[in-house]
Amino acid sequence: MSEFQGCPGSRSMSFDKGDEQSSDDGTSRPTELRQWPVQLHLVSPEAPYFQGADVLLAADCVAYAAGDFHKDFLKGKGLAIACPKLDDGQEIYVNKLRSMIDDAKINTLTVAIMQVPCCGGLLAMAKQALEGAERKIPLKSVIIGVQGEVLSDDWA
Amino acid sequence: MKEQMKRPIKEVIAEYPAVGTALDEFDIGCFPCAVGTCLLGDVVSIHGLSPEQEKELMGRIGEIIDGDGSGDTVAAAPAPSPKAAAPKTLKYSPPVKRLVDEHLLIKRFIALVPALAQRLDLASEEGRQVVLSGVELIRVYADAFHHAKEEDILFGYAEGTQEVIQVMLEDHTVARGHVRAIVKGVEERNSTAVAEHLLAYAELLTEHIKREDEILYPWMDRAFSTTQVGELYAAFDAADARADKVAIERCQRFVEELEVSLSIAKKEEL
Repeated sequence: MSEFQGCPGSRSMSFDKGDEQSSDDGTSRPTELRQWPVQLHLVSPEAPYFQGADVLLAADCVAYAAGDFHKDFLKGKGLAIACPKLDDGQEIYVNKLRSMIDDAKINTLTVAIMQVPCCGGLLAMAKQALEGAERKIPLKSVIIGVQGEVLSDDWA
Repeated sequence: MKEQMKRPIKEVIAEYPAVGTALDEFDIGCFPCAVGTCLLGDVVSIHGLSPEQEKELMGRIGEIIDGDGSGDTVAAAPAPSPKAAAPKTLKYSPPVKRLVDEHLLIKRFIALVPALAQRLDLASEEGRQVVLSGVELIRVYADAFHHAKEEDILFGYAEGTQEVIQVMLEDHTVARGHVRAIVKGVEERNSTAVAEHLLAYAELLTEHIKREDEILYPWMDRAFSTTQVGELYAAFDAADARADKVAIERCQRFVEELEVSLSIAKKEEL
């Protein structure tokens, strides 16, 4: 792995699970999503599901990487998703997050990102929003590995 | 053994002194605790030992109590020595971190107490005022500002662990007794009593803060949900907004000035 392999965020990898058993027990799991829309450009801080809520701001890829995304991260939270690498209008994101903190008076903000460096931009946006907000709230950072493992889960 | 887990630690140690020694080897310092109402089961679980360490400790306690090493949980494999374990890195949620940070000013004052007690001058108005400013720091900052957050907000989340919280509240009560005795000593110009209670307060709070920072807070933090962390943070914000900010700043200034004046006094005495 010593040779240059390009951007870690877009480098091709495959995870061959071989004969590893999947955990499919034949039962369907209910969604923990309790709102629509979810994309950060589309959600409104005034929406009832953000008022006083614990909010999860997840990078787009997180839900695909984390096997138990609904159970482990989404349950009980309002959701907004975004991609810090590809999305336009990120200053709108910061303003919207600030409005969630000040106007919707959200209780906490959890930012779930992938381990790739470019994903750190989403946490930086959340920190910028919090710094600019009048209210202060606890901010949590969760980093998910490209194979779905939780690499860290800390209050920022 | 299961029954023993529900007994206050003081009773267990009184009956089986070797349990106290075993706890001590795992840096669980219940042996000298004056209150000792924590349940043995809580004492083991609250200290955040690794599963291997907890297994080893339970095996040791079982051996002492039952004499067969079973203790309902047998150490299946040799565990690493507790003393060899890597030092724990303490991480706190934002509201609990705030309480830990508030301890810093109290600890700075406590560090000055031995030098202060040695140089008491209750004959002069200025000398008496130094002690009374210390009393203000304890009453306004440590008690009304900090302990009130614990008693009115944080401890409300400790459902089912009243014995552990009771020990902390008992410390607060004893500390308030020392403060009353300090004030009385100043009024009576009794330097011996003032020094004795200042030192006793410092000793009590040193141990109390250490238990909170290293044991109680991390233990409570592990049980908090994200929602509860947010609630605590907001409740602490509201409590801080009600606090007497001028008095808090005066307390901070007092500690800074006392650090300087005692440092100068020490140098002059050399």
